[in-house]
Amino acid sequence: MTANAPDPSDSALPPPIRRTMRFLLNDRPVFLDRVAPDDTLLDFLRIEKRLTGTKEGCAEGDCGACTVLLGTLDAQGRLHYRSANACIVLMGMIDGAHIVTVEHLSPRGGPLHPIQQAMVDHHGSQCGFCTPGFVMSLYGLLMRQPTPDRLAVERALQGNLCRCTGYAPIVRAALSVAALSGTDDPVLAERPTVTKRLAEWRDGSRLEVSGHEAASGNAEPGGATILPSDVPYEGDVSESEGASDNRILRPASVADLARLFEDNPAGRIVAGATDVGLWVTKFMRDVGPLIPIGHLDELRGVEESDGALRIGANVSYTDALDALAERIPAFAPLLWRIGGNQIRNMGTIGGNIANGSPIGDMPPPLIALGAMLHLRKGDARRDLPLEDFFIEYGKQDRWDGEFVEALSVPLPSPDAKIAFHKISKRRDEDITACLGAFHLMLTDDGTVDTIRIAYGGMAGVPKRASAVEKALIGRPWTEDAVESALAAFEEDFTPLSDMRASADYRMLVARNLLRRFFADTQDDPIQTEAAQ
Amino acid sequence: MNDIIKGKWIGKPLDRVDGPLKVSGAATYAAEHDIDAAIGFIVEATIAKGTIASIETANAEAAKGVIAVLTYENAPKMAPWGDGADDRFEQSHGVLVDGTIRHYGQPVALVIAETLEQARHAASLVAVTYDEQAPALGVDRADSELAEGLDGGFEPTNRRGDFDRAWAESDLTVDLNYTTPHMIPAAMEPHSAIAEWDGERLTVRNSLQVIASGVACLANTFGIDEENIRVLSPYIGGGFGSKLGQHYDTILAAAGAKKLNRPVKVVQTRRNLFHAGPHRARIEQRIRLGATRDGTLKAVNFETWSTQAIGYFYTEGPMASAASAYRCDALHWTGKTRQANETLNDSMRAPGEALGGVTFEAAIDELAEKVGMDPLEFRLKNEPTEDPASGKPFATRDLVECMKRGADEFGWADRPKEPRSRREGRKLIGYGMASAIRGNMMQEGSCRIDLSAGGHLTVKMDMTDIGTGTYTILTQIAAEALGLHPDDITVDLADSDNPATAGSGGSFGAGTSGSALWNACIALREKLARAGGFNIDPDEIDFDEGTMQAGDRAVALADVLKDSDGFSAEGSIKPGEEHEDYVQNSYGAHFCEVAVDMDSCEIEVRRFVSVFSAGRILNRKTAHSQCLGGLVWGIGGAIREELWMDERTGGYVNRDLAEYHVAVNRDVPKCDIIFLENPDPKSNPIGTKGIGELALCGAGGAVVNAIYNATGKRVYDLPVTLDKLL
Repeated sequence: MTANAPDPSDSALPPPIRRTMRFLLNDRPVFLDRVAPDDTLLDFLRIEKRLTGTKEGCAEGDCGACTVLLGTLDAQGRLHYRSANACIVLMGMIDGAHIVTVEHLSPRGGPLHPIQQAMVDHHGSQCGFCTPGFVMSLYGLLMRQPTPDRLAVERALQGNLCRCTGYAPIVRAALSVAALSGTDDPVLAERPTVTKRLAEWRDGSRLEVSGHEAASGNAEPGGATILPSDVPYEGDVSESEGASDNRILRPASVADLARLFEDNPAGRIVAGATDVGLWVTKFMRDVGPLIPIGHLDELRGVEESDGALRIGANVSYTDALDALAERIPAFAPLLWRIGGNQIRNMGTIGGNIANGSPIGDMPPPLIALGAMLHLRKGDARRDLPLEDFFIEYGKQDRWDGEFVEALSVPLPSPDAKIAFHKISKRRDEDITACLGAFHLMLTDDGTVDTIRIAYGGMAGVPKRASAVEKALIGRPWTEDAVESALAAFEEDFTPLSDMRASADYRMLVARNLLRRFFADTQDDPIQTEAAQ
Repeated sequence: MNDIIKGKWIGKPLDRVDGPLKVSGAATYAAEHDIDAAIGFIVEATIAKGTIASIETANAEAAKGVIAVLTYENAPKMAPWGDGADDRFEQSHGVLVDGTIRHYGQPVALVIAETLEQARHAASLVAVTYDEQAPALGVDRADSELAEGLDGGFEPTNRRGDFDRAWAESDLTVDLNYTTPHMIPAAMEPHSAIAEWDGERLTVRNSLQVIASGVACLANTFGIDEENIRVLSPYIGGGFGSKLGQHYDTILAAAGAKKLNRPVKVVQTRRNLFHAGPHRARIEQRIRLGATRDGTLKAVNFETWSTQAIGYFYTEGPMASAASAYRCDALHWTGKTRQANETLNDSMRAPGEALGGVTFEAAIDELAEKVGMDPLEFRLKNEPTEDPASGKPFATRDLVECMKRGADEFGWADRPKEPRSRREGRKLIGYGMASAIRGNMMQEGSCRIDLSAGGHLTVKMDMTDIGTGTYTILTQIAAEALGLHPDDITVDLADSDNPATAGSGGSFGAGTSGSALWNACIALREKLARAGGFNIDPDEIDFDEGTMQAGDRAVALADVLKDSDGFSAEGSIKPGEEHEDYVQNSYGAHFCEVAVDMDSCEIEVRRFVSVFSAGRILNRKTAHSQCLGGLVWGIGGAIREELWMDERTGGYVNRDLAEYHVAVNRDVPKCDIIFLENPDPKSNPIGTKGIGELALCGAGGAVVNAIYNATGKRVYDLPVTLDKLL
């Protein structure tokens, strides 16, 4: 552990406090001064705004029927749109953003948007309940990639379930859409106006709002379009709940976050809320005071220096993907199997670590690579090897008021052999049963110099296979060495049986993954027979 | 044969007429009607059997926004569960009637508040204690009795031929025990309803596949006349059997609305639906097959044991797949069940054949292997000339054609002859095939059509469109029969004020409602012909492009209509004698290739070729999509879908879409779907047969047979998940 001096760029002064939340919804601004920590965007859309094109199919980010676009500015002030599951987007997270729902794509009764028309032409809609979600996922894709190939389309649709069509007509529809232009696409046409508005709203203020049960706003149908006079909604302020945890505290900066969290250690930090959102919708847990951090650019950096890649706590899977995969290609197939696109857009690597799950997909690879965690509490910082962060199931080495600021991934040698294998019952959109991460360095004569092996799903925490590593280090990298090291798995792991896999299966597949790793390092990959 | 159908509109791949509304989010589903309704939230029982000892609602009632908390102590009077009718869809679905708990997740209270958040929060404040009793859960062969009947109209037993003798004469036999799991339709739209009362008159907007029996159910539940009930379900976000009848959403919304005298909306949460919505039962199946050395199938015996919900008489019969499949000397079956404290076990897409299409087709595969024959050859050799179960003639039969065509297109000849004999890298490759057979049913239905003086046709019936494309194919049928353009036709469905049909279910929807509409159009043609001065058989007149033409004489419909008050006609249909005298089926054959990872046993279905014969195809686009969707259900059923019951509580462990695995996009391989278009005049006037479930039947069988071919491993406890291939 090392303690660092406070960042001189952090302001010592608290920022101005704002008590009205603001965002754009389709073509109208919304101002709210009563918002509860557990208010979800989906309920706001469907119940408050009666924008019922956005559907609720599962309320936990599995089905994608509630997909909307979330437009935000990056550090350079450029506007980006990404798809998100409105059911687990908490209202406190969308301050200063542009929310686009399916209703915005085409005028009611008017010509359809090219994506919508393609869905009609190719019979991509049957019962129609999942359809708006598919439309929005494809829309999000076309915003990023004007002429996507089949693989890109399939990746964009990983987070959308359809029970009627068998999916193929939807894929065909997607592939038939030509690049969008400002003449047929409202969001492209509005881009300058929206960018300007969102930039104006980046005023360095901290948002503090509290809630009653329902939020409401002034973007009524038939109201003014973008950039009318900004008359804040006169909320029902007499209905103060008074409960101190019924608050949203949206920090103005990382320094402000450090201050807020130190003062409110019971606060719940959320970046993408892909986990915490479920606490609300599925388990009806109290999540206040809510501290959204997804907007903090300072935590969104991915930088290489001194042989390591530093990834801010706010970096989503989507944003990390290119940087990681470019340097460590084994990350690409793994990252593309985490959740669906909506989850990858919102979920962060920092969150995947901080929530301490034994089956998070990022910790095993990061542990195998020797990643360091950068933690911060107030102005004090410390660094911790990632593997030491996970103490036991549900318990991490994180102090009250301390948060993950970033993560450093040492870049492996070009000669290193690296593989990450995720096993799940359903190949896409499934929680891991067993994940093996391997990082091997051989000496010139083919002896194991170093090997780091970490597994998820095999214990109460993501865990190194230390005994297996020990059995391999210093031995020639041969099938015999691998086979004789397999016994050491018994020392390292006693997995559980659950509905994702039996203990026997986990143990066997963990060993087979080491066999697969060995075979993949050989010229003839099938020479090693897996045990079945 | 129907000579009026020229194929100008019928058969064409017309875009679905409701497409623009659905892709723009403007189609109004049950929960989305703009009605100022209070919101009800369900409190679930946390035991499977017992009685409520105490229920404390004061805290919930005191919570902000709460209007009422309904329990059995204060709910409006409803008839007890099961009263009023023998039909399970029409019987009373009374809930909150007394303190008796029949299943885990049964509603014990409905909290009604101004907002969803308030109702949901207050629901957590309702405290219930129970006098718990030991529940009956799961299959118990010793405690089972013969079912009252099996779904699809099958008797619970069949005893054709002398099984003992045929078994004794068999050189090679298999005696196999399978289990198929609890499953759930998981339509994307959760069950939802908005109910309102105007005095004694009840109006319900919900998501319901069959309107007429749903009205009867409400009448029986609330003790009111059917004339006082209106049910509307214009857009339904999928059903797959789960919305055949009324469920807790609707009954509780109606009870709440009656109590409050204001509209109440109830949307069941996904988690609640996993416990309180209809399921497919877990079924144990024993299949005995015997053959002689030359591959002649001699003996078939198919026994099943399942469970029913208390007071809800429904038994699924996987033996349906054996009924019409292969020639044999003896075909026996027995379907047994017992009443258990489980949530509703009910119809799920392709009831019977969805399961038998896996287990029976896997057993046939295993017997063929024992005989030493290619499984395709074995099936071809045992093609029957009459229905094996009943001895009746087939209305049509082109299973062999489906198999041969599919085998050619797929390249079946290249099949790995020995299991576990083909590898690509660290993957094992296998081929599998299975037959698809699904009973073709017709029901009663009626229809009214009104042609306005301006030339616009309105079709009215209570038929529903659950995503299958009913609005579209009915538009095409009317356009074809009357020579109108689809733009001049409005189809008005799913309103109980319209003429009654049997709704959507059992793949009978298109044939039944389409035939009722066809007959109405025939009646209207006669009226128009007479008004147009024709005195010949109207069938001789060509109706096209708004004109009636016979020989040299042409009369524009507009001329007939312009000074009229418009014309109306009614039509109806019921199953003809051909449905009694002949055995009616749709047919198909599936061929598929799988790859199984040697290290992890992960299964990848790589490609499918499926050939279907389902009579006249009304719309190639909707038909293709129905078949692809069904096929994907077959894949999901074989390797993905499984509900895990906690047999201590009767609750389900994986009650969400994260852990209940429906097939996702990348589970879907390249699928070639081929239709043999053979209109079947014995089925109905338009020559169609059921198509919505056909593709599901046998698709899973092809998958599990391919997995065996790849790995040499047969799995009898479905689905075939990776841990079972160890």
